Amino acid sequence: MHEAGIAEYLIEVAEQHLQRVPHGPVRRLHVRIGEMAGVNPDSLDFAFECLSKGTELEGARLDVERVPLQLDCDACGRRTPVADYVFRCGACGSETTRIATGRELQFVAIDADDPAEEVTGASH
Amino acid sequence: MHLIDVQSGLLAHNDAVAAENRAMLAQRGIYALNVMSAPGAGKTSLLERLLPLLAARWRVAVIEGDIVGSADAERLQRLNLPVEQINTGGACHLDARMVHPAVHAVVHGPADVLVFENVGNLVCPAEFDLGEDDALMLLSVTEGHDKPKKYPLMFRRAGLLVLNKVDLLAMTDFSVEEAVQAARDVHPGLEVIRTSCRTGEGVADVAAWVERRIVAKRGLGVPPVRG
Repeated sequence: MHEAGIAEYLIEVAEQHLQRVPHGPVRRLHVRIGEMAGVNPDSLDFAFECLSKGTELEGARLDVERVPLQLDCDACGRRTPVADYVFRCGACGSETTRIATGRELQFVAIDADDPAEEVTGASH
Repeated sequence: MHLIDVQSGLLAHNDAVAAENRAMLAQRGIYALNVMSAPGAGKTSLLERLLPLLAARWRVAVIEGDIVGSADAERLQRLNLPVEQINTGGACHLDARMVHPAVHAVVHGPADVLVFENVGNLVCPAEFDLGEDDALMLLSVTEGHDKPKKYPLMFRRAGLLVLNKVDLLAMTDFSVEEAVQAARDVHPGLEVIRTSCRTGEGVADVAAWVERRIVAKRGLGVPPVRG
């Protein structure tokens, strides 16, 4: 249950970025979470919803991109997916592999509306 | 629509402090071990047996993580080693920021080896680097041999798997073979040592493993005698 701490950090980083650029309401935060990252996307979503209340991120959605767990094989050079957490090359069976994808825990980008035009831009 | 590029790791704050901890320890040649397991697997019991063996040759310091209380720290203080208690106040793991002040104190004191006893939990501690050199993970036979399949990240991170409470094997349906196979599916080549902290079986082997790692880190051929 460390998702709350991660959601807090997500909000902190988002606010830092948002300070630097003029923007309208924030719609989405894009995050990338690997299959083997120790983070549960639903828990992160829940924590984000709770902790973003009262911030300018309130109401924004968390868009989670899941990344499959894949290995790069040192023996045959192929990249294969990991099934049932058995860390052997799916092509040649070698045990000398490295995790290629699936450990990501990345805050990718923020989607916000364009800033409202200040004096002249009000729509009628 | 306005896309603001962020591209930041969600554990970047932890990883940065962990790197700082690691650099401080490296500068003083201090080897750090992060001991992790589920609650009740025997972390403190193992340390009660293991640390006196290490302390015969090395100056050992301990950072003890618990949600509340100091029962474990008090047990280890009886070994006459410096023990720093950290209460996480509800958090389910130690993180690099929490241990940073204590690491700072250790590197400014006399120490060759720093042991973190993490909060009992097979999930969260696995994701948080503290700046350690190795992760030692305990699995006790009363927990069941299916655990590596259920908590792959922890077993993947472990540098050594200690299979504890083997004195109870006859009373359980635990299969050592299946547990080791499952652990090595997740982490090929993972070293496994069987221990009983009641009888002391295997603890000397764990000490020998840790000493090899200390010596490797310090780049020494022969461990010095404590002076």
